Amino acid sequence: MVNIEDLKAEAKRILKGGNVKYIIGYERPSNAWKANPVFARTPEDVDRLVWDPSCIHNLVRFVVDEKRRKAKEKPVDSRPIGVVVKGCDSRGIVVLIQEKFIERMDVFLIGVSCESTGVVDERKLAKKTVGTTVLKVKFGERMNYVVTTEDGILDIPAADIIADRCLECIASFPVVSDHLLGEKSKRDVPKPFQSVEKMESLPTKGKWDFWEDQLRKCVRCYACRSVCPMCYCDECVVDTINFAVTPETTAEEKAQRIKWLEKSPADSENIFYHLVRAIHLAGRCIDCGECERACPVNIPLRMLNKKMEKEAKELFGYDVGFDAEKPALMSCYLDGDPGDFIR
Amino acid sequence: MDKILAKNDFARWLEALASYRLYAPQNKDDVWTYELIESPDSRGLADVMTAVPAKKIVFPQREELFAFEEGDEAGYALSELLPGEKPTVIFGLRPCEAKAVILTDLVFGGEFVDEYYWKRRNAVTFVGLACLKPPSPNCFCLSVNGSPHGTEGLDILLTDLGDTYYVESLTEKGEKLVKAASDLFADPKPDERTRVMRLHGESEKKLRRSLSRIEDVPEKLKGMFDSPFWDAESMSCIRCGICTYLCPTCHCFDINDEVESSSPLQGRRVRTWDTCQFPDFTMHSSGHNPRPDKAARLRQRINHKFQYFVEVWQNYQCTGCGRCITLCPVGIDIINVVEKVRDHAG
Amino acid sequence: MVEEFEPRIIAFLCKWCSSAGSDLAGVSRMEYPPNVTPIQVMCSGSVSPLYVFSAFHRGADGVLVSGCHPGDCHYIKGNYYARRKLALTKELLEHVGLEPERFQISWVSAAEGQKYTRIIKDFVNELKPLGPQAKLRRKPSW
Repeated sequence: MVNIEDLKAEAKRILKGGNVKYIIGYERPSNAWKANPVFARTPEDVDRLVWDPSCIHNLVRFVVDEKRRKAKEKPVDSRPIGVVVKGCDSRGIVVLIQEKFIERMDVFLIGVSCESTGVVDERKLAKKTVGTTVLKVKFGERMNYVVTTEDGILDIPAADIIADRCLECIASFPVVSDHLLGEKSKRDVPKPFQSVEKMESLPTKGKWDFWEDQLRKCVRCYACRSVCPMCYCDECVVDTINFAVTPETTAEEKAQRIKWLEKSPADSENIFYHLVRAIHLAGRCIDCGECERACPVNIPLRMLNKKMEKEAKELFGYDVGFDAEKPALMSCYLDGDPGDFIR
Repeated sequence: MDKILAKNDFARWLEALASYRLYAPQNKDDVWTYELIESPDSRGLADVMTAVPAKKIVFPQREELFAFEEGDEAGYALSELLPGEKPTVIFGLRPCEAKAVILTDLVFGGEFVDEYYWKRRNAVTFVGLACLKPPSPNCFCLSVNGSPHGTEGLDILLTDLGDTYYVESLTEKGEKLVKAASDLFADPKPDERTRVMRLHGESEKKLRRSLSRIEDVPEKLKGMFDSPFWDAESMSCIRCGICTYLCPTCHCFDINDEVESSSPLQGRRVRTWDTCQFPDFTMHSSGHNPRPDKAARLRQRINHKFQYFVEVWQNYQCTGCGRCITLCPVGIDIINVVEKVRDHAG
Repeated sequence: MVEEFEPRIIAFLCKWCSSAGSDLAGVSRMEYPPNVTPIQVMCSGSVSPLYVFSAFHRGADGVLVSGCHPGDCHYIKGNYYARRKLALTKELLEHVGLEPERFQISWVSAAEGQKYTRIIKDFVNELKPLGPQAKLRRKPSW
């Protein structure tokens, strides 16, 4: 079991020593069961840190913000920032290091192991607690969650309300960390990529009907992009014509900027956006599931990115987010890469 | 004009309204959303809060303004694409959404009337469902001059009495709907009226959240424009568009030309939702951006809702639905932020 | 008389091999269907998946990317990167339900004019029964 006091002690230690600028962790507001990201700068802030099954956010996302902030800092404070990372989140750090977006010493990782369970899916929990209000969710001792509601305490098997991505977890404890809390217990995942295989078995028309139906719901809020640590481009494909360059950019240059897709949420534009995002995440997506969680209209985005993760593994033997020395998926190749689809 | 409608007769009422386009909240993949009713549910209306509010019907996310086409001679043909006025009914509206329409009316009406908005809006009859219990744990309508049984903006208010709905027609449009199937509606008994009033009164006590002394906020905001407060509060913002796109009162838009063919030139001018939370919202073509960071954009959202709108329209631009709180991926809570503003020293 | 559907193919051809191969087909007066709009790129490795998506978005019924044979790339390694990138692009397009026949990749050398014509002929024949590509295409009147 991860002891929150140990986490706080470590956090206080590195803050006090001035080793880090601040620590990104989870806190719970008093009136909700869900944790939120918090930026702890003082020991009092650290006392608010929590670790429970509602700590679903991928805090690595804020490492990207920190890099942007540092770029504007004068003078630059080159100390690292502390980040609380779960197994999946830590793979995100590996990808960022791989791509030389950050350096290993830019972050001090306080790793937490999910041990045998994982984080809770809000929608699944809501279905189990209809008519009452959830106050708190705790890890149980036997692959279960202890859910305190206004009307009593519920003991729910983890499998019933665990996040879908945890059912396919391949990193139940951080693959890289500076301080690790919890047991390095492996999760027994029956078969990875099951959710994708179900989709693969559909005929072409079935697949299209599914995705057309789902992506039609998209409101282009870009929460999926905004919450993803890997979507760190300053200028995204969908924004290309909105970002003027400098006062010196000529009108001709501006007029020539490519408009890949329209801003409006027409079906074809929505599909284009999600296809572009999925291919840009091929070999980079670590399946933290945040995109799907953040989506306000419940589009099964994991099933797009997971397909790319599966093909990276099956076609090229590439594991995403484990080895920071490895080159990115699309900047390397093997002589034996499959080519039978090529005429 | 008050009436009673048995829930069993609800489907038959919808059948009598076949000449209208009918919307109601429907569950699609665990998300409630206003969709056209395909098969009327005989159990009546779902008592829920949708993710995307009803504003999408009167102010669609994608709206064509006009089409342009290069003619044979030099010159372009422009054709207006005003929306049709097919009569529409939105069922199951929460009072906060109806109030939001009234607030949006202020912006799209007044001196410069937005014909596209009004053509749609005038064709809609709003049938609200009183919130006998808060549909969201983050509801706070009472704090922003709203009410769980509010009638602002509604043509009919329904109150759930178990097996029946208490049907209060508030306008001529509402009465017209009732008259379309008058045989289904009975006159209420006196105790039913008292029961409705009691339920309404009780519903006000059930709201879980509140924002007290909100009247102190606009003045406070004036003095906080340059405060580092906004930087601290916006640290976890990921700059998506959820809070604003799903807000019933937010109405900012962008206009783009969607060109279908460049030779001959042919296309449409299209209006879409836009949000002050996107970094490029205030990007100037010179490259300057007056709201270059998240702090400035959060400040803008709060100021717009609790200061600027108050100054111009004497109303908070917030109806307390709590969607921005519930759906924010990082838990930024507008009530907490505004309370901190209210209590901010100096 | 019903007009037969003529598929529109956009072909990204690498300058050094495939484009030259298509030129050879031309100067040798080899006949092949006129349904192709060729776009010359410097290397198949420089073809971004965005180009493929965009071609479909603008209404292409089929997209072909053709480059040098592995080992023969003018830039040494470009086509190896293309092999990976385009494999993933093809998997993704099929995953969302685009007909697999619509996106094809080939290796055509500068000497393979004949092969180029065969590829185009086969491509057109495979596309005709599928009809116009309407799935990813931006709708002309929304």
